[in-house]
Amino acid sequence: MRFLGKYWAFARIAARHALSERGELYGRMAFFAVVLGVFSALWRAVAEAGMPIATEPGRLVWYLAATEWIVLSVPQLHVEIQEDVRRGDIAYHLPRPVSYVGSMLAQAAGTLSVRLPIMALTACVCAYLFTGRAPPLAALLTFAVFAVAATLLASALYVGIGLLAFWLSDVSPIYWVVQKALFVLGGMMLPLELYPRWLQSVAHFTPFPALLAGPAQLVLRASAPGEVLVLAARLGAWSVFVAMLLWFVFRRASRSLQVSGG
Amino acid sequence: MNHLLNLGRFLVALSWTNLKSALALRGSFWLQVAFMILNNLTYFVFWWVLFARIPTLRGYGLREVYALFGTSAAGFGFVYAMAGGVRHLGRFIDEGELDPLLVQPKPTLLYALGSRSQPSGWGDAISGLVFLGLSGYARLDNLPLVLLALACSAATFLGAGVVFFSLAFWLRKTDMLSRHLWELLITFSLYPEPLFGGALRLVLFTALPVAFISYLPVRVLRDEKLVDALTLCGGAASVLVAGAWLFTRGLRRYSSGSRFGVFG
Repeated sequence: MRFLGKYWAFARIAARHALSERGELYGRMAFFAVVLGVFSALWRAVAEAGMPIATEPGRLVWYLAATEWIVLSVPQLHVEIQEDVRRGDIAYHLPRPVSYVGSMLAQAAGTLSVRLPIMALTACVCAYLFTGRAPPLAALLTFAVFAVAATLLASALYVGIGLLAFWLSDVSPIYWVVQKALFVLGGMMLPLELYPRWLQSVAHFTPFPALLAGPAQLVLRASAPGEVLVLAARLGAWSVFVAMLLWFVFRRASRSLQVSGG
Repeated sequence: MNHLLNLGRFLVALSWTNLKSALALRGSFWLQVAFMILNNLTYFVFWWVLFARIPTLRGYGLREVYALFGTSAAGFGFVYAMAGGVRHLGRFIDEGELDPLLVQPKPTLLYALGSRSQPSGWGDAISGLVFLGLSGYARLDNLPLVLLALACSAATFLGAGVVFFSLAFWLRKTDMLSRHLWELLITFSLYPEPLFGGALRLVLFTALPVAFISYLPVRVLRDEKLVDALTLCGGAASVLVAGAWLFTRGLRRYSSGSRFGVFG
């Protein structure tokens, strides 16, 4: 229990910090509302030309609300890790009786505990106001469970990008590539079934559909229990893969630090 | 006349210095340019997929969206690359960082705007020009119109940016608010004009002057009507003048900081 207590403290501090940054939160909420407003107008216009997918415009607004909820809630931990490495603060973190990667993930969980409910409220209120309808409560609740898991996995991915700062002076280009891949291959603005076949095939070899399109499909249409289980298995498999990757990269990173110095 | 010529020479020198400073770290410069182009291509995946399935969107086809994105990205890119200080104005005002600029011989605003340059702005400018070329609305025979559209787009971005960030003279600690207003400007400028109606449309032609960034430039390039061109010039010039006027008024309220700093 004491083992978990240390990480609980990290999470609590991160949550307080996220709460204190009101401007950041309001900014995210406003941006979220504007994006949903723009896309509700866009999908209404698309419907006049004939929907390219067998669904209503309102459902696609809820789909975007779902994907954006995940994207806008994930903290950008790679920046913090890069600064730790650049300033040399990492040397003080490593001897502590806590795992550096673990503390970062705990901070991510803390930040998410503040951002997720606030952004969920923004998403639901705005999407309802713009569409005048809401998906079934059961679908929303199932989606929420998967979305929380997806935000944790995305946070772990960003921690992995941050750890690359041990070798690269600036990890921003890597972050941009991963972020854009998440937007496109994850199906952030459009369901993947609208993509050309070859792009859908490429996407399914990456973790991105499991992070965005997979959970968001749950609010787009009724999913069979089998599909939900497949999504859970995919998220689980990618979580194991990313966890192993983090362990491997951090081990190499700390070894390179011990050999070359900070 | 001599004064204007001097000012023109100064602006050219400032822009040249900005470009040289951005190119000083060559690798980082090209990396940022390349990633910004990649970023913009990513944005376009949405439109490519959508227009593969529908022919037009309230009169907007893929060509119009190319032109819309092209004028907006190029206008924004040139401002960000040549007058990148606009995004830092709020902080300059709030933290008393205008002090070293006040004693310079040329207008303070020009120094403040030219004091920063973002290499990624060149990526936006390049991809904007490529998209404009792809639209088919930018040709050699209408080059003056293309230059007019780009100049007005950049002038509106700059003028609106100065207005938003100059709010710090009166309201203090407005950096976050100004940044969000600036981002709203970018967001709305990337979506077709016919999507927005009613009161929002009025806002997009006045308080948030997106119309002069991309909507009217697209109309000017597509329809080649004199009335649209004149409206665009008038609108963009008004926003630019409003920005300069507001900054000059605000400067009278500016209180110096206690931080020691040098300029140059």
